[in-house]
Amino acid sequence: MQWLDAIVQGVLLGGMYAQYALGMALMFGVMRIVNIAHGDVMILLSLIAVSLAGVLPFGNIGLVLVIVPIAVAIGWILQKVILNRVVGADPLPSLIATFGLSIALQNLMLEIWSADTRSLPNSDIASASFQIGPIYLGLLPVIVLVCAFVIAGGLDAVLRYTRFGRGLRAAAADTEAAAMTGVDPKRIYATATAIAVGILGLAAIFAALRATVSPSDGPAQLIYAFEAVIIGGMGSIWGAFLGAMVLGIAQAVGLRVDPGLGILFGHLVFLLVLATRPEGIMARKK
Amino acid sequence: MNTIKQMRVQRATTSSRIAMTIGLFLLLALVAMPWWATSGNIRWAIELCCYIAIAQMWNLLAGYAGLVSVGQQAFIGVAGYMLFVLAQNFGINPFVAVILSLIAPAFLAVPTYFLLRRLDGPYFAIGTWVVAEAVRLATSNIDYVNAGAGMTLRVMTQYSQHEREVAFVILCAILLIVTIGGSYWLLRSRHGLALTAMRDNPVAAASQGVNVGKLRLYIFVAAAVGTGFAGAIYYMAQLRITPSAGFDPFWASMAIFIVMVGGIGSIEGALIGALIYFFADRLFGEFGSAYLIVLGILTLIIALYARGGVWGLLQKLGDHPWFPVRRKLILEE
Repeated sequence: MQWLDAIVQGVLLGGMYAQYALGMALMFGVMRIVNIAHGDVMILLSLIAVSLAGVLPFGNIGLVLVIVPIAVAIGWILQKVILNRVVGADPLPSLIATFGLSIALQNLMLEIWSADTRSLPNSDIASASFQIGPIYLGLLPVIVLVCAFVIAGGLDAVLRYTRFGRGLRAAAADTEAAAMTGVDPKRIYATATAIAVGILGLAAIFAALRATVSPSDGPAQLIYAFEAVIIGGMGSIWGAFLGAMVLGIAQAVGLRVDPGLGILFGHLVFLLVLATRPEGIMARKK
Repeated sequence: MNTIKQMRVQRATTSSRIAMTIGLFLLLALVAMPWWATSGNIRWAIELCCYIAIAQMWNLLAGYAGLVSVGQQAFIGVAGYMLFVLAQNFGINPFVAVILSLIAPAFLAVPTYFLLRRLDGPYFAIGTWVVAEAVRLATSNIDYVNAGAGMTLRVMTQYSQHEREVAFVILCAILLIVTIGGSYWLLRSRHGLALTAMRDNPVAAASQGVNVGKLRLYIFVAAAVGTGFAGAIYYMAQLRITPSAGFDPFWASMAIFIVMVGGIGSIEGALIGALIYFFADRLFGEFGSAYLIVLGILTLIIALYARGGVWGLLQKLGDHPWFPVRRKLILEE
């Protein structure tokens, strides 16, 4: 029963990781860019949310309505000012540029918010729980998981059925050919990054409700998002979602074995997948 | 009729001869340090040598082999730990153990490369980071190496300060000869041509008969060993190692700052960058996070606007290589 509980809690934890991973899968799928500052941007949004919550009178829903547009704006600016200049076949410039951004952001947050851990004020959702059989489920983690599922489904539908989705898939397959058929890659890129960071805005609020955040937490979130994407299969939306579940379960099971082993188990499962099924669990057979 | 012209290949330039002379002089000065410098200065020199070596190895990886790694701290940590275990737990002479400890990064690098080689550029980078994190977490859970509390190199107390300093400067000189000299030798060799071709375009290089995969593996392992060597010396001088220090991602950040600011894809760049970083750290390190914000933004700006770094700018003023790797054909009448 202890293990069943670990798996259930792992899936719930995976819901959180899925929210980090979906944006990353989208950006890599389109631009072949990994934003090293992915986690730091999320932490920045969390800290902004925590600071705003102290000033603004409205509750968590209101906070989402404020933070997500801020996140979308940050994503759009990030694309216009930095990423558009480094998109290309050579991965080095984008890596180094976002790496420098990550270091600068981490230390900027340290200057503004100090190294203290912070969280959003405890609300009813954060502490509510319900029981199914012998297992207790927190209400908030369930909401996080449901949101992640809805976002994954929404993204998948957008990619499949909308004009933007077709343009995005075309740009991902061959940028120049897509440009010839009337797709504007730069606009597609900016929209994709804005969506990716917008999802991070929602994740940021959930992260600050669930637990604490501090300026140095970004790299760990980047690594979880990355592991989820690779476990699932590069560039696949549902792959990233499932990969996040696998990662969450691995960490939760590891945590039950020994409190020091949770995160290590996640890394080991990632390396195991890389060794045995490098194309990811969701990849289509060629 | 046609006179047969004599031809020869010229490699050294005036600037390179001057640079080589200065380099040899500096190396001698380094080895002589215990007889003319203070202990504080020697500690600084050890640190600077380690920075140069780690940066040079990262330059070889990212600048030539196209393998961007943000997990080089894995090799620093394992080499440091191997040294501490050999010297402290097995009682091997620590100065011999430094050399023996290089087995650890080599053994870690081979499976790491084979696991990660399937990943695309940016994913390879984060993959190396995951490996470094996994090794750090594993180390913090192994009681044999005192888990998260770290180890202390008590056996060093049997040597006098002067003996230690002499050994350290000699090790540092070997480190520089192996990393800088080794890179220079490699770049001038047949493999150097292949590496330069790979740097410019890996697909074209492969079509010209360069075995890109094999060369990348060799470079990855060699860079791991060079980086580990610097790490072992650094932590031997510190006398203490902990998982959070030995496997600190800041090692990778430092290497990236140095190489990007100095100029990627050249030996001179890594040297210039290491000097800039070393003195900037001494002058502005006290400003803590504000200083790191500037370093981060500087790296970002260089990646966006001036990919050649300081060495790239200097080369625009005049072509005076310190470590020329080009061949020039001279016709003699």
